[in-house]
Amino acid sequence: MTRLLAWSALLLGCVFFALPLVGMTEFSMRMLREGYSFEAYRVVLVDERFQLTFSYSVLMALATIVVGMVLVVPTAYWVRLRLPAARPWIEFITLLPLVIPAIVIVFGYIRLYNTSSWLPLTGSTTGTNILLMFGYVTLSLPYMYRAVDTGLRTIDVATLTEAALSLGAGWVTILTRVILPNVLVAVLSGAFLTFAIVIGEFTMAALLDRPAFGPFMQLLGANRAYEPAALAVIAFGITWACMALIQLATRFSKHIQVQR
Amino acid sequence: MAYLELKNLKKSFGPTTVVQDFNLSVGRGEFISLLGPSGCGKTTVLRMVAGFEIPTSGSIVIDGQDVTRVKPNGRNIGMVFQAYALFPNMTVAQNVAFGLKIKGMGRADIDTRVREMLKLIGLPELGNRFPFQLSGGQQQRVALARALAPSPRVLLLDEPLSALDAKIRVSLRTEIREIQRELGITTIFVTHDQEEALSMSDRIVVMYGGVAEQVGNPHEVYNRPRTRFVANFVGTLNTLDATVRDADAGTLTMAGVDLTLPEGGLQAKSGERLTVALRPEAVQLGRGADSDIVLPGSIEDVHFMGSVIRLKVAVAGSSLSLDTFNRSDMPPPAVGAAIEVSLSPKDLIVLQG
Amino acid sequence: MPEPRPGPLSRLNLNWLGLLPFALFALLFLILPTMKIVVGAFQTPDGNFTLDNIYGLNTESIVSSYWVSIQLSLITAFLGCLIGFAMAAAVILGKLPGKVRSGLMTFSGVASNFAGVPLAFAFLATLGPVGLVTIWLRNEFGINLRAMGFNLLSFWGLVVVYLFFQIPLMILMIAPALDGLKREWREAAEILGASASQYWRMVALPILFPALLGTFALLFANSFGAIATAFALTGPQLNIVPIKLYAQIRGDVLGNPHLGYALAFGMIVITALANGLYIWLRVRSERWLK
Repeated sequence: MTRLLAWSALLLGCVFFALPLVGMTEFSMRMLREGYSFEAYRVVLVDERFQLTFSYSVLMALATIVVGMVLVVPTAYWVRLRLPAARPWIEFITLLPLVIPAIVIVFGYIRLYNTSSWLPLTGSTTGTNILLMFGYVTLSLPYMYRAVDTGLRTIDVATLTEAALSLGAGWVTILTRVILPNVLVAVLSGAFLTFAIVIGEFTMAALLDRPAFGPFMQLLGANRAYEPAALAVIAFGITWACMALIQLATRFSKHIQVQR
Repeated sequence: MAYLELKNLKKSFGPTTVVQDFNLSVGRGEFISLLGPSGCGKTTVLRMVAGFEIPTSGSIVIDGQDVTRVKPNGRNIGMVFQAYALFPNMTVAQNVAFGLKIKGMGRADIDTRVREMLKLIGLPELGNRFPFQLSGGQQQRVALARALAPSPRVLLLDEPLSALDAKIRVSLRTEIREIQRELGITTIFVTHDQEEALSMSDRIVVMYGGVAEQVGNPHEVYNRPRTRFVANFVGTLNTLDATVRDADAGTLTMAGVDLTLPEGGLQAKSGERLTVALRPEAVQLGRGADSDIVLPGSIEDVHFMGSVIRLKVAVAGSSLSLDTFNRSDMPPPAVGAAIEVSLSPKDLIVLQG
Repeated sequence: MPEPRPGPLSRLNLNWLGLLPFALFALLFLILPTMKIVVGAFQTPDGNFTLDNIYGLNTESIVSSYWVSIQLSLITAFLGCLIGFAMAAAVILGKLPGKVRSGLMTFSGVASNFAGVPLAFAFLATLGPVGLVTIWLRNEFGINLRAMGFNLLSFWGLVVVYLFFQIPLMILMIAPALDGLKREWREAAEILGASASQYWRMVALPILFPALLGTFALLFANSFGAIATAFALTGPQLNIVPIKLYAQIRGDVLGNPHLGYALAFGMIVITALANGLYIWLRVRSERWLK
């Protein structure tokens, strides 16, 4: 009885989730009248704007990951090691981007860093790129911090640090050679998740007028019929790949832990 | 007439049978322990009595009522789990009151009963605490009060002490037994700790591989184990090889010495080799007054355990453990010292099977 | 970073120094921008204090956009919690095989992140005017969804689309809490005479309450601030706050830059209220937690 209910609840959910995926895939292959084809994908992939925006977003995502990690890993480590009292505050700040909508934050950027302000980031292309990148770091902050902090919880930060210090290691060595390898899986999980979030992000890129993948998809969607579906399939594939990589990293870590 | 009757219980999960041919009659007010290693089926038996598992075959009768197919919430049974089973969102008093509330008892009556139960377990002041504010021992006492509050017909205890510190474990043992006696409630206690089973129970069921190996009072189970498993599992045991000389007369040759068993006849053929067992406390250092057999040996190891000293002695090619009481005026023998040990044939346990 | 020296004062200072990069980042890219909005909402273009911007929100169009947004967020958060809870409970408590569970969790991770523009495309291809399901229903069963009042580009259409990421998010968030329900609690309640519904009402739901509430608040904020999906689906027409704010940032459609601040400030107030309510209720309901 319980099991029957459980299965039917699950089945109903599966139908709801499967239909849009089936729908977009089917639709994306209907571009040619004579039957199913990959024409829409071909058209999208050879589109120069696709190549430009996609590579721009990939670069943005990578920069976001690097900067985010440089910011988050030492901070989370330091808080665990020396400032446990600051943890609630740091956690509160890292959770703020979940509460304050992205559109509000970017609105603040535009007004705070406009051409006539004390830090005119939006005045130049490089400045705007940097601003967008930091915007993405902000968006991914809750996920990155959570992932790294969870990773740090599983290791004994204090003992590892003392051991490394007693062997004469400096702080940079400790962070890169001792702490980072131990939380690598957590860092990777955070990184893939960040990639999935950044690659298709729309609001910030559109409002800062940067040629990113998200606004491009939106533009294409307003003007074309079949190509958007192909883009949706591609975007879903990327998201799925990121999640699969997270799973892979986690499984790999379990493997190592068993061997220890 | 038995109050709780388990008849031919069998439980299989898929192809594996975890309990079979299980029969037990429990008298009203009796304290029965199910003792065995993990995986022996003792918990499954308890869970069948509780109703969490439906027996594959067999029946369970409580006070004349067949409850085999009755759901757990209709059985009126109390149960204490291994640990952490208190509802974390309720205070101690609310936990104890839970069963009474379900029964639809009036508020005033519930309050009275809860106060009574908290007094019974010796925690009358802690009614407003939440479970996380209690020690492990206190939590288990509250769990006991919660189980007992609705006046259940049978009390089931599923290794309630195994998650506790050694000291509290021992003191709570006594306390549980006292409360059980005071209320006269029929109780089944599951444990893997033979000391717990021996010290608390009216009768013990030793289980292994899903079957009851032996049922008896602590004295019987300890002193007259019926199978090799029971002998090994309950208490420490020395084993010696022996050869049957005359099965009908009950005579054996052991370590080069001939001896006669007081009980007489053996269910073995003459000339057959078999194993005899001996408790450490039945081996005596030096010559005993009425001991029939004296064997030479040498000390291999000395474990000073406080009131008791356990010696390992090499005798006739095998190693024997023996216990002797500590005496302040007599230091234990040194390792390597040549000594004599004596033992009485009446303490020998012939292991069959 | 230099090694901290003994002595309480210097040690304290150096320790706080370690947080400087993070504090600087948070200040520049999170706190100051937000403060700019909050302060701007109470300022005239000349920088004087005023409440006119807040009063200015009280136009029919703006009030109704807030109302639609709040309704949308409440409904998708509620349905997301309900359906997500049912699915998570089915998989975790319903004795389904472990493979089903890990499959659902992985898929939830993907689906909860598959929001924004591509999600809108997926639904357009499925339930849009020429979508797979729309055509199929019309050709095979003669059911015309549009004639029945369903329009993907409407409020309820948006609800359906939002559920695609709200439900998985709920599943991800509530699964650990469901795992935390100990078997002993259920069994203890059962043997004390409780029925399944009594167990849920008196034990399981009170224990899950903080987690349920937290997820609800998160789902609410998640959909309240979401814009990409709605924008890609309906364009700038749909009257919800984020789209209104988007249009205001792009082209000052309200004709008053500081009214934009007030609009954004209103969004912060509402998500903050939702989360504040959550925190207050959580503190109240979690007296029994360490």
